Amino acid sequence: MTKPLLDVEDLRVRFHLRTGTVEAVRGVTLQLGRERLGIVGESGSGKSQTGRAILGLTPPPGEVTAKRLAFDGIDLLTASKRTLRTLRGGRISMVMQDPKYSLNPVMTIGEQIIEAYQAHAKAGRGEARDKALAMLEAVKMRDPARVFSLYPHEVSGGMGQRAMIAMMLVTDPDLLIADEPTSALDVTVSMEVLRILDELVTERGMGLIFISHDLKLVSSFCDRVLVMYAGRVVEELEAKNLREAKHPYTQGLMRCLPTLADDVRPLPTLNRDPAWAL
Amino acid sequence: MLDIQKLQVVFGTGRLRVDAVKDVSFHVEPGEAYGLVGESGSGKSTVLRAICGLAPITSGRVLVDGAEVTTPRSKAFYRTVQMVFQDPYASLHPRHTVDRTLSEPLAIHGEKDTETRILQALREVGLGPSFRFRYPHQLSGGQRQRIAIARALILRPKVLLLDEPTSALDASVQAEILNLLDDLRRKMGLTYILVSHDLAVVAHLCERLLVMRHGEAVEETTSAALRSGAASNEYTQSLIQASQGFTRNAKPPLQSLAG
Repeated sequence: MTKPLLDVEDLRVRFHLRTGTVEAVRGVTLQLGRERLGIVGESGSGKSQTGRAILGLTPPPGEVTAKRLAFDGIDLLTASKRTLRTLRGGRISMVMQDPKYSLNPVMTIGEQIIEAYQAHAKAGRGEARDKALAMLEAVKMRDPARVFSLYPHEVSGGMGQRAMIAMMLVTDPDLLIADEPTSALDVTVSMEVLRILDELVTERGMGLIFISHDLKLVSSFCDRVLVMYAGRVVEELEAKNLREAKHPYTQGLMRCLPTLADDVRPLPTLNRDPAWAL
Repeated sequence: MLDIQKLQVVFGTGRLRVDAVKDVSFHVEPGEAYGLVGESGSGKSTVLRAICGLAPITSGRVLVDGAEVTTPRSKAFYRTVQMVFQDPYASLHPRHTVDRTLSEPLAIHGEKDTETRILQALREVGLGPSFRFRYPHQLSGGQRQRIAIARALILRPKVLLLDEPTSALDASVQAEILNLLDDLRRKMGLTYILVSHDLAVVAHLCERLLVMRHGEAVEETTSAALRSGAASNEYTQSLIQASQGFTRNAKPPLQSLAG
């Protein structure tokens, strides 16, 4: 890893509200190569806002500041809107949580993939169509031609999520940000979606940021894990060393999950130390 | 306490006919916690809804305390059986205070001592009297679910139907709610039917469970058998594996991704 794909230093996201300023992300620093990085935290920990800020998708009235926010040497904070447009969806893509809300309900899945492709590549309709079909096949749709002409409401959650992955990967991005890509799905289906995501990311040598609240899932899927609490990274560790987590928050998160392996009763709960948020 | 015999639930007719629950039978002893596990669309929630009258019973029988339920359900039924829903953000009326939410069941059933009952219900779920006049938006997810549980318990039911009570909550909050449910069952001698897609949650709270798929019962087993990995059914095995987290070289579960 000579030059990091993504270099973030002291990222802050603030929302100026009537009731005062809320700082959702408070100084996140991270570097990402072509690897799988997990960001874990509970609701309100700022993990999603971190992902959105990288793509410049912070909803107004949010304000993003950082000492450095660079993707492959391009400064994302000062880049023109035009540059950002070519990056977004082209070289950086994002898979959202719920396919029900993130796909266009009045466009067929095939059309949506073609649209994504043609927005970034100079390609004729026929070529885009072939590419879309190939992509649907890559995400293991059983009958790509049929799925191509279906509307989002006609497919199941797992298929919808795979269609979204197809759409996001059709432009062959260098970095994929997946924000809770499987939280809306069933356990067995989500394993299947993860397997596909894993294959594609490995094959294409992409960088992946995987945002989730599920510590167990993230640690089994990613190479490296950042644990966020109250807008800060409280711990960074190799996924395989998760059991040796030092921070009491990470340890608490690990312990409070019921497991099939042993029967702890009552479950240990998390005593939040106000010092963690400082 | 509860006896479900050959329960069948069908929605729609003709081309739109959906067999949501096909021939499901199980029996729950008083004081027992019984789990229903499966993917979405397996009919597990529909079983619960059929028991408490939110879904039609097409055929089969539902017996509570040895007596078959009537349609519509009687007031006495709701004194015995109450339900807690999945999403506390959706199941509490946004413009009713906690006090109003909790006093409504009391008013419907003509109960007296509203004041003391509400304060007691709040205490039971680990919330102080200061929560009484708050609106749902002034509560966190875990606090809301506690209010939903208090609402269900305020009539002193014997059976609690729990529909994914923790899946909308963070892991640390889930642990608190599971502990609370465990405690309440022991203190009040409640009977639970818990619906969840999370095997670990079901194994934690329940002694016995039924694995469902496509509206059918796949296997009835015990938590002890799950823990020791003694589940015989292949589908149950794949659920167990999925609950362990992602594994890179696991073989894909049989014919998943249906639909």
